[in-house]
Parts: sequence; structure tokens; C-alpha cells
Amino acid sequence: MEQAALALEMLNITKTFPGVQALDDVSFGCARGEVHALCGENGAGKSTLIKILGGVYQPDSGTIRLDGREVAFSHPIAARRAGISIIHQELSLLPNRSVAENIFLGIEPTRFGLLDRRTMREEARRLLKRLGSSVAPETLAGDLSIAHQQIVEIAKALAVDARILVMDEPTAALDRVDASRLLDLARKLSTEDVSIVFISHRMPEIQTVADRVTVLKDGRTVMTAPLAEAPTSRLVRAMVGRDLTDFYPPRSSQPPGAVALTVRHAGNKRLHGISFEVRAGEIVGVAGLEGSGKNAVARALIGDAPFESGGMEIGGRAVKSRNPRAAIQAGLGRLSDDRKREGLLMQQSVRDNAMLIERAFAPPLGSPTAGPMSPEATDKRLIQLDVRATSFDQEVQFLSGGNQQRVIIARWLARNPEILIFCEPTRGVDVAAKAEIYKIMRETANRGRAILMVSSDLPEIVGVSDRILVMREGALAGELSGGAAEEDVMALAVAQDRESQAMAS
Amino acid sequence: MSESQALVPAPAWRRGSAAPPLLLAGSILLYVGVAFWTGQTKMLETDGVIGLLERMVALGIVALGQTFAIIAGSIDLSVANMISVAAVLASFIMHGRADMMLAAVLVVLAVSALVGVVNGAIISRLKVNPFIATLGVGLILQGLLSASFTDFAGSVPREFQAVAYGSFGVVPYSVAALFVLAALASFVLWATRFGAHLYAVGGNAEGARLAGIRTDLVTTGAHVVCSLSAGVTGLYLASRLRSGAPWIGRDGVYDLESIAVVVIGGTLLAGGRGGVWGTLAGVLLFASLDAAFNMMGVSAYPKLVLRGAIVIAAVAVYTVRTRGHVA
Repeated sequence: MEQAALALEMLNITKTFPGVQALDDVSFGCARGEVHALCGENGAGKSTLIKILGGVYQPDSGTIRLDGREVAFSHPIAARRAGISIIHQELSLLPNRSVAENIFLGIEPTRFGLLDRRTMREEARRLLKRLGSSVAPETLAGDLSIAHQQIVEIAKALAVDARILVMDEPTAALDRVDASRLLDLARKLSTEDVSIVFISHRMPEIQTVADRVTVLKDGRTVMTAPLAEAPTSRLVRAMVGRDLTDFYPPRSSQPPGAVALTVRHAGNKRLHGISFEVRAGEIVGVAGLEGSGKNAVARALIGDAPFESGGMEIGGRAVKSRNPRAAIQAGLGRLSDDRKREGLLMQQSVRDNAMLIERAFAPPLGSPTAGPMSPEATDKRLIQLDVRATSFDQEVQFLSGGNQQRVIIARWLARNPEILIFCEPTRGVDVAAKAEIYKIMRETANRGRAILMVSSDLPEIVGVSDRILVMREGALAGELSGGAAEEDVMALAVAQDRESQAMAS
Repeated sequence: MSESQALVPAPAWRRGSAAPPLLLAGSILLYVGVAFWTGQTKMLETDGVIGLLERMVALGIVALGQTFAIIAGSIDLSVANMISVAAVLASFIMHGRADMMLAAVLVVLAVSALVGVVNGAIISRLKVNPFIATLGVGLILQGLLSASFTDFAGSVPREFQAVAYGSFGVVPYSVAALFVLAALASFVLWATRFGAHLYAVGGNAEGARLAGIRTDLVTTGAHVVCSLSAGVTGLYLASRLRSGAPWIGRDGVYDLESIAVVVIGGTLLAGGRGGVWGTLAGVLLFASLDAAFNMMGVSAYPKLVLRGAIVIAAVAVYTVRTRGHVA
């Protein structure tokens, strides 16, 4: 594989963002016709590396070579012209334009200055056929299933004659049949001399499709090896192995209290057969891959997409979360994983944001600045949580991620619900603030509250939780005790053994 | 980010923006300046100033309601038609009879509230974009009204004309009413739960819903307030014109002008921020502009150009200021 110059070489790439070393001397290469899997946990540096390849970011140092020639991309268009196409996890097709129009977006063929629709259609048909798809070029992209949209995305890449195709978790949103079809397609393209960078954290897929694997962790390359030397167990260890200092607060020495929340045989469109308990004083982690239903559980509990079957009890009383208001009244609270969209009033003050929940339940004719909603009480809470702002009148949009999260915590602590659900509590939060947030969670549990922590961050799941529930395909795949090995959580989440056999056959 | 923490809460008025004082100063400067320039210094005496304030009443009252709708992240394009409906209904029911005054006022307020509920329900239940929903409702109102009435309908009794023409000493009832309503609106926005919820829903509707706020009721409430303010404006215009005609709302362009003054007053069109004093300052600016053009004896059309420019300039200034505001 090393005889000629590699199709793609990224050598000694370093990239620093304010306060974070995103990539530290990372090297990565891909031969012509090779499928090279790139894996690593969230925050390991995969997306930064890909953005550098795609011309979105410029590296601080290091070189990129295509077929041995050194290149530098100052803009995404430069990368595309050089033959690099990136298919992002969120598809970028225009839903109301036809498949052909999407494929030739920005590179529309013209005749006498007019759009040449016939060439567009014929070329689109030819590209799709090459991908084994019979989708009609006239179809609106929005009418296609996700799997077909993905194929259109690939056709879009081929239309610019991409020689390096980056696929960022392409199967995350696909069911198993479509996923294996997509993997076949990736293999087929590689036989046509396209180099494929395949980002995934599904081990069975990597085992099926890759020629070589590179694992990133904390911005460094920790291993690059041919697939034969990279069994799943070794990959997982490379991905998660790290030192855990006193980053996580000590678990409570007290045995947990009474059962605070019981869920029995609950289900809805995305979930089935969910049964579990959370006790007062406990932090229960909920782990699982993207799309496993772990967020759906949180949404069901808080009444955003409620359970349609089964039952729920809080403190022994049967309750129904028909909508968020009813759920909060029953004693639940949820911190959203999407602070910007579902949490904060961005252009309002820190103080107003911290008062939101109390205001929602204030007596109809009461003042919104009385009692627990008084500026004094609110400020006290914000100070306790060490929220840093130039003033509590500052608009919350100007705070750092960690401080924004603390404002939302302050909002819920004012309500002090029996059960508090943290969704991705440290997403977009720097390391120091992470430790602080864990501490707040532990203190809240020690005050007799029950905490459910839904997270994609494995170290956090393992380090903080007293117990761990692992979700897979809309159901509970199993339960582990706190401090379980990350490998075990991952194994349950990906169903390593059975699924890899099924896919290999 | 700064390490310092200001622990002293800022007074409530500071939570708005610097817009009202600036607009106030600009309006006064314009009015006084033109009065001196044209030598009409009697416009600076009591009668002249009262006249200026009276120009504010109709647009002012409807704009107060529009402020509620916009703060809640909505908008109401049906107010102009609602004003016509209210005015015609009032003068038709009264038909010159003083004993029908109370009944007419109650009917108008009930109809306005109902229109608000309908607007709110279409927006929050059927999830129709507020622009389209209220445009549609406005067209329906206008259609019903124009089908039933083609000219001035009925008349209001002399007793009711006192609404527009009566006064406490030198202060007309209508001007006093405008400021009382503004104070009331300001109180509701700053000091009640409903007000807090309006800002929350306008700031982030999804976040507010997930926090347990009944966002549909809040949106509907904002539209009821807005339609009621249009109804009151209709009553005022019926009193002022001594009768209601099915075109008075449209002729006043109260839909677009009310939105314009709200935005000039510093309320975010996207919702979640703003207040009624800014709106009132915007109304004063428009009134001063009218008065200034009258004093200069210039035709009304350049005034429109200037109004348009002011709306655009105001929004541009707010946008730049917000963007530059990085802590």
C-alpha cells in the first residue's frame, strides 16, 4: 500500500483554540482506494481534523499532501476543487429541490448561458446508477428516505469528481439493512480508486468496512493499524483508556434512600419496555449511542414526547407526564442537552433566566419578583453556584458554556424537584467547569434528590454515576454498577458480540 | 469575561434599552426646532403641546397592544381592521342614543377579546405563522364589515363624544387615558407573572414550554390584549369622528404604523425584549414628525419617506448596537 505516494497525507497537524489544544501533532493518511476508519470519543479531535481537511479551519502547523503534492486550503471551496468531499452527519440537501438540482448545486451545467436541465438529469441518472440507485433525478430530495438522501449526497460528491470522500457517521440515522447497503457502497467506491475516510464509533461497522483504523484521543493519534491488528477490544481500549484523577466527586457513603422514580413497562414510538427505578440520593447514568433512545427517555419523563404505554410513579404515587408542565408539577425537572434551543432566553438577563421555572409556576396574580423569585434570592443562588458574569443583568448569551449551564442549574434548584434529569450536562463546557458541575450534581443528590444523567460522554457516565443504564435501539440493553469499565458500557451499547457476527455474515 | 460581579440589581427601567430617552429628546428637538424655524412659537404653548399629544392617542393605544404581541414573539396585522369593526359597531349600536353607550362599549370589548382569542388560537393551536394568521383574520373582519356597511353607520351621542373632546382642565381625557393605559401596560409587563411569561415565550418559546409555561395561553393572552387595544382605539375614533366608517382603520394604516413604532421604540421584532415606554416614544416621534410637516406646510408624502427611513435606521442602529455588545 505504501509503494506510491498516498492519495492523502496529513502530517504533524497541530491546532489550538483559545484554551484548548484540539489537535497535537496528528498525522493521518489514506491510500488510493483505501477505506480508513477514524474513531475516537466525542471531543477527541475527529471533527477538527476533518474541518482542517475540508478547509474550514487552517492548521497552526503541519502539512497536507494530495498525491504527494503539498496543498493548503484557505477556504472550503479550495478543498472541494482539490477533490475532497465531506458528507456531514446532518445532510445538507435542499428538501424542496429535485435530486438532480441538488447534485449539481453550485456547478449547474449551462448551454448558451441557460440552465441545461437535460444534461443535469442525464448526468444525475448516470451518477446514481453508478451508486446502484434507481432514484429518479426529478424526485424532490425531501421526499426521499434518509438512506436515499445519503446516496444523493454521495452522488453530489462524485459530481465534482471527488477522490477523497469523508463520511462522518454515515450510518447513525440508518437502520441495519440500509446501513449495510451503505457499507457495501463504500467498499465499491474504494475499488474505483476513491479514498474513503470513514468516521464511526460503531465497532461492527468498522470491522466490516475498514482497511486501516486510526484512533484519536484528546487530540493525539493513539494508534494507526491495519484492521487485522485492530480487533474491537483493542480499539475500544485505545479510545477510552485514560487516567481519571480526582476529577469526579466521591460517591456517597450513605446507602440510597427511598425509591423516588419508578418506570414500568413504559414505551412510545421510540421506546419500548422501559422499566427502571431511581432512588433518592442516587445518580443514575443513562448511556447509549446516538439514536439509542437515551434522550427519548428524558423527553418521555418530562412530558415532551410522553410515554404512551406503561406506568410511572414518583414517590409511590402514580403520575402521568402529559406535558412538561404536568411533569414539573409532579416533581420532575430536566436540563436540556440543547441549551441554546431549549433552555436559555439568550437575549435576556442572567437573572431573568435563573427565575424562569419559578415564574412558570408563580401564582397567577403574584408578582414575578416576589419570594423565591426576588432578585435577592436569585442572586444568592447564582453566587452559590459561582456563576461568572460582569453583572447578573448581563445577557446570558455572552456567558461561557459552563456559566450558562450553571444558570440553568440555578433555575432548577430554585424549584428543587424530586427528580432532576441532566441531559449532556457538560456538553460544550470546559474541563474545569465540568468538575464543578459534577460536584453540584453530587451535592444535589446528597441533599436527597434523585438524579438521572443522560450522557454520550462515557468517562462521565462511568465516573459520576452510582448505577448505569445502557440503552440500545429504544430499549434498555442492561444495567451496570458505577465505576464499570467503559469497555463494558460500550459493549452493551453496540451489542458487540452478536451484532458483529450478524454483520460479518 | 470579567471576574467582577455586580451584585446590585439594576432598577427595572434599565432592563429595557436607552431608546426611550433618545427618542424623546429627538422628538422634542424636532418639534421645538421646527416651531422656532417656522416662527410658529405659539405651537409651544399649552394648546400646541396638547394638540401634539392628541395626535398620539389613536396610534398610541393600538401600539401598546401591538407591543404585547411583539414581545410575545408574535405580531398582529388585524388591528387596523379590528379598529374599523369596533368604530362601526359602536356607532351602529349607539345610533345617537346615550342609553346604549354602555351596551355598545361592552359589545365592542367582547368582540375585540373574541378576535384576540381567535388570533391566539390559530397561532398557538393550529401553529399558523402569526403574520399569516392575523392577516387572514384581518381580511375576514374587513370583508364582513364591508359587506354589511358601506358608509358611516349610525352615530355616537354627544355624551360619548366627550371621550375625544372632554378634558380635565387642559388635559383631554383621551391623552390622560393613553398615559394611564401605558402605565398599566408597563405595570403588567414588569410586575405580573403574565408579563414575565410574555418575555419568556418571546425569548425562547420552546425553552419556555419545557420550563412548564403554558405558552399557548400566553400567546393568546398577548393577542387578547392587542385586540382589546385595537377595540379601544376604535371606540376613541368613533367618538372623535362622531360616527364609525368601515375604512377608518385602513386609512390610518394602524397595522403597519403600530408595528413601526413598536420597533422604533426598541422592542425586538423577534420578541423577548422591549417595553411600552419605547413604543410611546416612537409614537411621539411620529406625532412630532406630523406636526413638524404641518407647520412647514409641506405635503404629506415626503413625511412617508422620512418615516420609512426612520424605521430602517432605528432597526439598523439596534442591530449594530446588539452585535457590538460583546462582554
